[in-house]
Amino acid sequence: MNDDDLNRELQRLPIKYLHQLAKGRISRHFRLGKRRLIECMLGLPQEHKMALATSLANLSLPTRESVVNSPTPPPPSPGESPSPFYSKPTARTSHHTQGPSSPPIQLPELLEGIGVPSPMPFVPDEWQREAVEALAHADVIVSVPTGSGKTFVAIEAIKQAMAANQTVIYTSPLKALSNTKYMEFSHRFGPDLVGILTGDRRDNIHAPLLIMTTEILRNVLYDAASGEIDLRLHTLGLVILDESQYLADPERGVVWEETLILCPSQTRLLLLSASIGNPQELAEWLTSIRETPCRLIRHTKRSVPLRGLYLHPTGQLVPLFEARDIQQKKGYRFHPETKRLFNEYEVKPFR
Amino acid sequence: MPPAIHPIDLVDILRRHHLTPAIVFLTSRRGCDEAIDAFINTSASVSASHSEAIRTFLDQFAKDFPSIANHPLIPVVQDYGVAAHHAGHLPSWKMAIEELMRQGLLDAVFATTTLAAGVDFPARTVVISQSSVRKSQDFCDLTVSEIQQLAGRGGRRGKDFVGFVVVTPSPFIDLDILGKGLTGQPESIDSQFVISYPMVLNLLRAHSVDQIEGLLAKSFAQFQLNQRVTVHQERLDDLHEQLQPYGPRECADWVAQWKVFDLARRRKAHRRPIVTNDSPYLTACLPFLTPGRLIGLAKGPAIILRQYRSRGTGTPMLSVLHGKGTVGECQAQRVVHVYDHVYDFHPTRTVPWCLPSTLHQFKQALAQLPAHPPTVPIFEASPEADDPLLSEVLTEEFSCPSCPSYTACKKDFSLASRLRLKEQQVTKTIQALRDGLWHRFQQKADVLHKFGYITAGFQLTADGEWARMIRINHSLLITELIRMDAFSGIAPEMLAGVMASIAHDDDRPSSYMRLTSGLSSMLGKVRQVADSLRAYEPPPLLRSDVAALAEQWIGQPQLNWASLVRSTSMAEGDVYRLLARTLEFLSQIHTLKGTHPGLADTAHLAMGNMRREVLAELP
Ligand SMILES: Nc1ncnc2c1ncn2[C@@H]1O[C@H](COP(=O)(O)OP(=O)(O)O)[C@@H](O)[C@H]1O
Ligand SMILES: [Mg+2]
Repeated sequence: MNDDDLNRELQRLPIKYLHQLAKGRISRHFRLGKRRLIECMLGLPQEHKMALATSLANLSLPTRESVVNSPTPPPPSPGESPSPFYSKPTARTSHHTQGPSSPPIQLPELLEGIGVPSPMPFVPDEWQREAVEALAHADVIVSVPTGSGKTFVAIEAIKQAMAANQTVIYTSPLKALSNTKYMEFSHRFGPDLVGILTGDRRDNIHAPLLIMTTEILRNVLYDAASGEIDLRLHTLGLVILDESQYLADPERGVVWEETLILCPSQTRLLLLSASIGNPQELAEWLTSIRETPCRLIRHTKRSVPLRGLYLHPTGQLVPLFEARDIQQKKGYRFHPETKRLFNEYEVKPFR
Repeated sequence: MPPAIHPIDLVDILRRHHLTPAIVFLTSRRGCDEAIDAFINTSASVSASHSEAIRTFLDQFAKDFPSIANHPLIPVVQDYGVAAHHAGHLPSWKMAIEELMRQGLLDAVFATTTLAAGVDFPARTVVISQSSVRKSQDFCDLTVSEIQQLAGRGGRRGKDFVGFVVVTPSPFIDLDILGKGLTGQPESIDSQFVISYPMVLNLLRAHSVDQIEGLLAKSFAQFQLNQRVTVHQERLDDLHEQLQPYGPRECADWVAQWKVFDLARRRKAHRRPIVTNDSPYLTACLPFLTPGRLIGLAKGPAIILRQYRSRGTGTPMLSVLHGKGTVGECQAQRVVHVYDHVYDFHPTRTVPWCLPSTLHQFKQALAQLPAHPPTVPIFEASPEADDPLLSEVLTEEFSCPSCPSYTACKKDFSLASRLRLKEQQVTKTIQALRDGLWHRFQQKADVLHKFGYITAGFQLTADGEWARMIRINHSLLITELIRMDAFSGIAPEMLAGVMASIAHDDDRPSSYMRLTSGLSSMLGKVRQVADSLRAYEPPPLLRSDVAALAEQWIGQPQLNWASLVRSTSMAEGDVYRLLARTLEFLSQIHTLKGTHPGLADTAHLAMGNMRREVLAELP
């Protein structure tokens, strides 16, 4: 068998068999994609290649898989495949899909519209305006998908509070995040107006906007309760808790609860959270323990549509789902091509 | 497991389809590092101008953060436009990568899924090659929330019309978990309220016990518990309704009476479940000595408010309302008569164990008692009662056999007692849900009392006053060490070493480092104390290698960061985090300057020495 033949034979093989062949011949073969695996195999010394050809001939390929690379393989119907992928998951997922849907999307259509929007004047979303306005008479929980623009709400709320001569505390769960926000806010509001508190540093703590981790705020509230703190808590008008889904963190979550319980009653609370399952419950809780009611602002729609792709180790790129945009709570149906390729990838022992 | 596709192929395909910049999520730090290593000496480089832009940015960034100036990964980043981002890196380096990404200068960043929530780190495309993550030792499936956090980074507002999530398989991947995660509803969050020693001390410092009970009741934990209470309350109401037909008969508490009678009849099969030191007579009395029961003491009649066992001796005790209107405690064995009368009673948790209005009613009732109220005969399950003859005699003395409602009781007993048992269980569950937090608070308070941080009256002692400033993990160990003067005259670097080994809770392996003998014996002592506190606080790992690392950094001001990192196999980011946490612990010790000026000074010195080079870059 010459190199060309071998190459052709190898190209026809599903990746899992390539890995079988590569075992013991190519180090760290499992890290390699199909193209690279074949390159490496063809680069082996001659006698190794002969041994490889023999193993290749001895590979017992099920007939179904030997036709895998024929030009347009018909998508296998659920009944005939032995793979658990067809039997179990499709059966489980099909009943919560979007009903008899339109034909599965094709790749070009899915990749359509990639690009950079031209700069547009900033227009706040309805929910952003709503959240800022609600703060006038209520505590607010914002629970929206990542990347929606919660920071804008925080900034507007800070401006409002500063205009009313109030102190604002902004907390994040991580020091790294506090640092980033410190820089961002210093840049936006001017360094004089922003201070930061950490375990051992207190920079500009008489500034109207203070940034700290939630633990530090909890400590400040402890000290304030026993009357020994130099911070002006009586002018504290707003506390912003970013990433407040941390309330459910097994180790640190309690700190968020303590903070919320100990927050002075004249202070407005703004909780910014990624999407969570029960923001309503959180809002009811806050309403039940605080003098001001708590308003919930939530939605699950992403501001930039998200689409799914499946990338096969051979380099084939196909749509992940039948539908184009990924949508919440509407169920899902994998694209037939994804199912076919993934089934091919799946090596039984891994399941 | 790494994805089956090679990183170069992956980035190549993403570039060809205009899917960059992309974040590629991998399971391990090593996977991320190896992925970008794979680019070295390949043709996958970026254009010269692109490379130049990265270079310019990094040079600029290094002016504010000198620690990245000679970072070994700079060449890969600028030549190939790819980077790794994980907890093994310095914060400053991670910030540089984040900023590069924000400016669109990178094509791909290989990151671990721990990429923290909230870090502004978006891309056009997110690549996911796994459906599980390592959590401590095990692999766990990604939750819907986690998957959406990852996928949420795909598609930048204002910079992308659309975002993409690319799934590429690696061994052990389960597509369905990802399918559900991408389209499902995120999980509900639950309270994770835990009560810690510092919390107890700090709450007690500023609030009365009653206020604290109120504060705990305001927690989200209690809010969620109360929702469960509602469900149980409905069951309880239902049970009460079912118990309606089985109210008082000839005697007030016929179910309890019949039970004793029944036990006597079946005494052979009966075994006393708990071995106590109670006399048989007392054992027989106890089921009747429930709250609301009228009893006779040597001094006169009284009403029981609660029954409990004394903590030390385990003797059954009663809180009672005496005839003269005072509430007191007495041993159950002092009860002379058990009268056949039970008043309505709704228990409360604190003295006087019932509502003031109830107490008032009881006082009136006691004042108007007849001279000799009917009593409940107490049937003693004495050993002799095992004798069938004797037991029969005793049974005849018992009122049930001759009672007019004998048949009715006999018929109803099994159902009524079953309902009664359920009622008690549900009532207990409700009590537990209502009081759980409070009990946990009391448990912690008991320990603090035992150690002398608070008085029996819930006041902070002098030690409690300063101990409440230590608000970190392992606070009890640290305050105990301070109280036993373990740190007197200690050198700053040694204090830092000890704090590092207490603070560090990661058991990632790292290289052995030589300990100075002083630190080594100090750690031995700390370990002993930690072990002795095991029942009250889980001991820290107390790794000596991290102690040695911190000691070196603080003790040798001329030691530079690069050599420190070279001397250990810990990743740079881990060393940074260790020292940053140590700094936090030291800063809490520094707050004790009022009561422990020497120790606070030492901590301050250590902090000063700590803050240099990269550790001085960020607040
Ligand atoms: N109304 C808006 N119109 C356009 N872009 C917006 C709007 N609100 C926010 N953004 C942009 O969205 C991006 C993500 O915002 P951010 O506040 O970081 O999201 P998150 O909700 O995750 O905190 C930012 O670049 C921000 O400028
Ligand atoms: Mg945010």
